[in-house]
Amino acid sequence: MSGTAADARDRRVVTLPVDRRAPTAPADPGAASHSPGWHVDDWGRDPVLVGAAAALAGLRWSTTVGGTDHLPARGGALIVVNHRRGALTPVHAALALGRATGRPVRFVGRTDVAPLGALAVRLGGLLARPDEVAGALRSGELLVVPAAPTLDPRQVGRVDHHLVGAAVATRTPVHPGAVLSTPVRRAARIEVGPARRSSRHRRGPLAEVELADEIEADIRRMLGELGGARTGTPLDWLPWMGGP
Amino acid sequence: MAARRRVLVSGMGGDLGSRVAALLEQEDWVGELVGIDRDPPRRRLHRARFHLIHPHDHDRIVDTVTAFDPHVVVHLAVWEPHSRANPATARRYTDDAATSFLGAAAECRSLETVVVRSGIEVYGRARGAPTRPDEDADVAPTCAYGKTLADIERTARAIGERVGVTVGAIRMATVLGPHVPSPLGRLLRMPVVPFSALADPPFAVVEDVVVARAFVAAAHRRLAGPVNVVANGAVTALQAARRGGRIPLPLVGPEWAVARGVSAVLGAPVPDHVMETLHRGRLADNGRMGELLGFTSPTTTMEVIDALYAWPSVVRVPPRRAVA
Repeated sequence: MSGTAADARDRRVVTLPVDRRAPTAPADPGAASHSPGWHVDDWGRDPVLVGAAAALAGLRWSTTVGGTDHLPARGGALIVVNHRRGALTPVHAALALGRATGRPVRFVGRTDVAPLGALAVRLGGLLARPDEVAGALRSGELLVVPAAPTLDPRQVGRVDHHLVGAAVATRTPVHPGAVLSTPVRRAARIEVGPARRSSRHRRGPLAEVELADEIEADIRRMLGELGGARTGTPLDWLPWMGGP
Repeated sequence: MAARRRVLVSGMGGDLGSRVAALLEQEDWVGELVGIDRDPPRRRLHRARFHLIHPHDHDRIVDTVTAFDPHVVVHLAVWEPHSRANPATARRYTDDAATSFLGAAAECRSLETVVVRSGIEVYGRARGAPTRPDEDADVAPTCAYGKTLADIERTARAIGERVGVTVGAIRMATVLGPHVPSPLGRLLRMPVVPFSALADPPFAVVEDVVVARAFVAAAHRRLAGPVNVVANGAVTALQAARRGGRIPLPLVGPEWAVARGVSAVLGAPVPDHVMETLHRGRLADNGRMGELLGFTSPTTTMEVIDALYAWPSVVRVPPRRAVA
């Protein structure tokens, strides 16, 4: 090739500049220095915020949790609890059970209005919709579902059979849970019962209706066994009197 | 599928379309491969034949499609608002393309399956809507883009019932990739990233290569119904901004209008479905991906977001001299 032809070809080649700047963010996902470990899960639950909320809840309640050995080590389960009006029972139960089991526990029945709804999502709240509950159970989540709220801490409101139906549809165990707490005392107790199976074999929607009724009766019985929540004094707020 | 199939890809010119075509070229079950788009393919294809046709050129599209007589139609000709066209143009292109391609496909006697591009925007984010809807959730879109996608699904399903072929819909989360023109991706890469101070809800994304695999798998398996294609995990705008070293800007209400205007001027217009994502979140249950498509996303949402910030910026090279 003659020198003239090579020169002419070289003149036609345009060398583009190469950007050799380092990327703005670290390529290694785990090396993000701004927010190590700060993430939300598939449902938007923020473990850091949940940990902070559990610490705050520890200031309000001194909770004894029992019966967690009934819960599956893996896979989904529905825990139906009684709900004292104004007591944030589902949140309290989810935080306490999460701490006791070491698994994320979500509560059902969050609002969907910002900013409370957004905060509830971060704490693991789900909407009280059967499809939402079914989706979470299929994903192997532990869910706390409250019964209808009551003023009396020893009473149980109606259990929503539609939400129980989500567990029936996904073949997930349903556990009764008794939560005993009062407005003045710091001591609280949560007891989870063994998974309840319907006593009758039903092919249709009666299965969930009857299972919801049986769960309600189980919780009532467990509350009776836990004893009187009205006994005791507010003195348990004092550090040397603390403990359930 | 025993014999090799004729496959038509509408929207082959875009990043996703050309990526799907490149994967289809490697499949044994794919015989002839034809693509149509208004832009030429973004990557080198070896086996595919490409036709440069505008979506409003109905007659040419119908002639080309019916002459090819495909067994499989992969309909990717969907324009996301403010990705490559403004919302009105995107809607018009998408409607034209859906009418032409799906209508022409219905006339093809060899047609066996149709796979359409959709998105998790079809579920809508109205108050009380499920946080993480699965494929059985109601289709109730609350943004213009979601309604467009729902219309495509409805049209394709009606055609499928009419001519007796399977129709699958890939409901994908926001797709991010180094060459994908994503309004959300652009916004998150801005130096200052606005987020909702009152909500900052979680959303999920998915990588472009995963979506491309999903279309190929859906076409091969003759997917009959919708499937959510979403990466595991979630992220919020504040978290994304902090991971990318951007300045997070908390906004509460009226200042969002100003932020949208400024963002548009700076080259990252924010369409309404992205606004909805930033205010109400956008998640979807991907639990059926493995069962329906044979794989799940190997990358998490957080990894896709980290990759978003690792991609180098566009280098603009001014012309050095005029070329004769």
